[in-house]
Parts: sequence; C-alpha cells; structure tokens
Amino acid sequence: MTFLAQQALAERPFFDILAVPPDVDVVGAWLIALFTLCVFSFLYKDNPFYKFAEHVFVGAGTAFFTLQYYEEGVLEPVIDHIHRASGLIDSGGLLMLGGHGIDPTLGIVFRCIAAALALMLLVRLFKADSWAPRWPLAIMVGVYAALKMTGETQAKLVLPVKGMLTPITNPDAAAWSSDWARVEDTGVFFTIAALVVIVGTICALSHFIFTYKRTPLLGGVSRVGVVVLMITFGSMFGFTVLGRIALLIERVDSLGTLSGNGYQMMGTGTGTLSVMTSPPVLTAVLITLVLVLRKITGKDAGDTAST
Amino acid sequence: MANVTDFDRRWIFLAMGVLVVGLYTTGAKSPAPQLEYVQAYYDVIEALPDDSIVMLSADFDPASAAELLPMYQATIHHLLRKNIRVVNVATWPAAPPYTRNEFNQITPQYGKLYGTDWVELGFLPGDDVAMAQMGASLHSAFSTDSRENKPLAELPLMGELGDSLQGIDLLITLSAGYPGILEWLAQVGGRYNMTILTGTTAVQTSDLYAFYPSQLAGFIGGATGATRYLELVSEQTEAMVHARDVNQNRIMIQEWAHMLILALIVVGNVLYFAGRGK
Repeated sequence: MTFLAQQALAERPFFDILAVPPDVDVVGAWLIALFTLCVFSFLYKDNPFYKFAEHVFVGAGTAFFTLQYYEEGVLEPVIDHIHRASGLIDSGGLLMLGGHGIDPTLGIVFRCIAAALALMLLVRLFKADSWAPRWPLAIMVGVYAALKMTGETQAKLVLPVKGMLTPITNPDAAAWSSDWARVEDTGVFFTIAALVVIVGTICALSHFIFTYKRTPLLGGVSRVGVVVLMITFGSMFGFTVLGRIALLIERVDSLGTLSGNGYQMMGTGTGTLSVMTSPPVLTAVLITLVLVLRKITGKDAGDTAST
Repeated sequence: MANVTDFDRRWIFLAMGVLVVGLYTTGAKSPAPQLEYVQAYYDVIEALPDDSIVMLSADFDPASAAELLPMYQATIHHLLRKNIRVVNVATWPAAPPYTRNEFNQITPQYGKLYGTDWVELGFLPGDDVAMAQMGASLHSAFSTDSRENKPLAELPLMGELGDSLQGIDLLITLSAGYPGILEWLAQVGGRYNMTILTGTTAVQTSDLYAFYPSQLAGFIGGATGATRYLELVSEQTEAMVHARDVNQNRIMIQEWAHMLILALIVVGNVLYFAGRGK
C-alpha cells in the first residue's frame, strides 16, 4: 500500500468503502479473515463455519482447475492448434511438431487422432465393458512406463549409486580441529560421514532381503537398518512439522497485516480500536459467539470433535 | 493422574495458537543458520554470466505458498538483478496466477521487457510427460506464450533460445511435491545434462540430500532455507529487506513452536510410560 493510501485510510473516521483507494482490497481482506478463521474453527470441532469454507473451497477449486485444464488441455492443443495449422496450409508453411517441421495437414490429422483417443476414454461412461477405452489407456500406460523407467532409473538409481562410489578420504579436507564450529570441514568428519552413509545404506537395504533365511548376522545387520530407517522417518516427520508450523505462522502473519493498516472499521493506524475493529478480530469474535451460542442451545450435538 | 490418552488435544492447539500469535506480536527476529545447500544455490546464480537464460518452473499452489513464495520472489529478484533472462513455466495449474503477479510487480523494478528479458509460457498439463515434452521440443509443448498468446517464434528471447532446452543455462524449480524436482531430475536433468537448482517445502527436503551435489547444484529447504536465501539476496537487493525481516520473525516463532512440540513429545511419553503400569 502506498504512503498516501495509508494516510487517507488512517484519517478516515469510520468505515467508508467509497473512500478506500483502489489498491486496498477491503473485500479480499474480509474474505481472507473469514475463510482462514472458518477453517481454523475446525480445531475446536466440526461446525457450520468449517463446512461452509470447505464447500466454497471445493467449488471454487473445481471451477478453477476445470478452466485451467480446459484452456491448456483442450482449447490450446486442439482448437487453437487446428486453427493455426489451417492457417499454415493456406500460407504453405510447415508446422513444428516434436521439434520437426511437418506438413500442417498431417499435424491436424495427428491431433485429431489424439483427440479421438481422448474421447474413447469417455466411452466407459456409457458402456462399462467397452473395448474402446483400453486403447488409449494402453498407450498412456506404455508411454508413461517408458518415460518413468528410463528417466527414473537414471536419476534415482544409476546416478545416486555412482555418487556413492567415492573415496572415503578427502586429502583436501582440513586437519582435525578442536573447534566444533569447524569440525564438519575436517578429514576425520568426512571419513566418518562417508562410512555412516555406506554402512547405513547396506544395513537399510538388508532389511528388505526376504529371499534368505534370517541368520543372526543378517538379522543383526537388518536391525541396524531398522534404526537407520527410523532415524530417516524421524527426520521426515521433523521436516513435516516444520512445514505445518510454517503454514500456521504464515496465516497468522497474513491476518496480522489485516489488523489495522487501513482495513479496520474504526480508529487509526494500529491502535487498539483499529485492531479490535479489523477483519480478523471481528470475524473471530463473530465465529466464537456463534459457536458458544450453538453449544449453549445444544445445537452442536451433531458436530464431531476435532481429530 | 488421568490417563494421558484422555487429554483433550484442543488444549495443545490452543497453546500453539497462543504461542504463535503472542510471539508474532513481539516482532522479534532470529537469523537463519548458515546452510551449505542454500549457499550453493546462491553461488550458482551468482556465477552465471549476464544474459544467461534460466528456466524458472513454478511447481506449487497456494497450500505451499507460505514456504515457496518468498523463495520464488527472491529468486526472480536475484536473476533480474544479475541481468539474467527468465523463461517462466508451471507444471501446477494453480501456479500461474502467482507467477504472473510476481513478474508483474518485480520486472518493472529492473526495467525488464517482456519477450526480450523474460517470457511467460504458463501451465503445461501432463506432469512427467509435460517435462519430457519440454525437453524434446519447447515449440511443441508451448505453441504460444500464455501472456500475449503470441507464437513463440515472435518473442525475441524464445527465438534466440530455439526449440530445445540446450540453450537453457540453468533450470530452477520451486517444488511442492508431484510433479516437482524429482520428476525434473528424472525427465530433464539426466537426459540433457542440465544444471538444476530447487527450492522445496520442508516436507520434501529430506528427499533431496541424496541428489546433492551430483544432480542438484544447490537447494533451499523450507522456511529456514528461504530465510537464509533472503538474507543472502537482500545484501544487494533493497527490495528484499522487508521480506527478509518478515521471514526472520517467522523463524523465531518457528524455533519456539518446535520447542513446544519437543516439550509436548517428552511430556507425553513420560506420562504414557508412567501410566502404562497402572
């Protein structure tokens, strides 16, 4: 928000939407506060506010994604493509397809075949056991498997294994230091880290060997592998918590910027009155009052507790 | 003492809410730790010569914008400050509104021209297949740009880039899940021997260590990594100072929230084992 806009809003004695500068999205601010707090209200228990937000979200999301997929999956690659190719037929130019210039008529034919295959998928809606959807499905599965097999094998097997096949000593590393801040740069640390990776990988893999009898040796190695896996899962859980807390903080930050700063109904700046009459606080008060009333009148009996 | 399993978890939600809101109002800040991977991300971009071409893929949606949007903004600032040209794509349908908004706001600050200094190719459906298609032929994957709906050949930057990804000096993906960095590595990284950087949500970060540095030249993980990157970028970009301060405040809150979770885990386990024998 510009300084002038802030100034104009700060001087406004009472909420007047006509006085709001165009770069201040007051309606958006109220909607942000309303929907954020409606969703948070689920932490107390399932309630009509949460259901309202959930339904609006699903409806708006469906509309948005349908439009996006229509534009990028139907309009552009089929209709616009055929229109463009038709223009090239008239001008005698070549159509670029798969990195090669081809006859535009062929380009239209290829795209019509693709569109026909896509439509064949829909035949299942009318006749469940029809042969028609099997052809496009077979092509999709075949192409996808080929792409995944080649790319994934290279990226997730060959290159990581190659990355592991490195010396466990590093002659360029620093000598041992008693300074803990620099210990990661030392050769000893490098060697220990490399050994942990090698031993950890072998032990973890050994846990998934099911074709041999569990001898004490294999069982012992496998048990170490389980510990490695548990440490990995713990790390992943930690990162997940990190992400979820970051989302909560961002929401609080977002609501915080709407407390005052021109979005309030009364007061100026970030004073108590402007904060109390800002979208997040008023919406929170409204939701809390309704939930309390529902509890007092016993209308929340059907609401399930938060999980 | 009542059984720990009878404890109403809503008290925990309330405690977390009070802690986060209370710390937010203090406005206190905490710097992010030094992170080798983030430094590598920064250094790779710094080492690019002027007029390099970078493909910036937005593979996220509103659910992960809290972590990824600051990285995305800082990366655009970093690239444009270095006079690097940007090809902007998305493999998530909800990303284009973000990307357009950010480029609309940031490019005028550096006097960059659409079509010459940056282009917006938009969203391409198809996940892994879409990425492979971009690798095979950009002009087949995107016959027009999504901003002005012009044939790619009419945009100077795309004319210079040609049809393949060979002209791309660096691929950067801000990735929230599938499709994202792991698919870019499989479909583009190995096949075209391309340098790749990524910024990911914290949830995805643990998957990336195995790929650094052999396949990933650097990465930013979660809000902590984003804050560290903002600290590095803001040293030379005044526009990022406010975003850095906001993120440092978030880091401080995050540290205390984690302490609360740790304390709850310890208390919960102690109460559980203490009550098990009764």
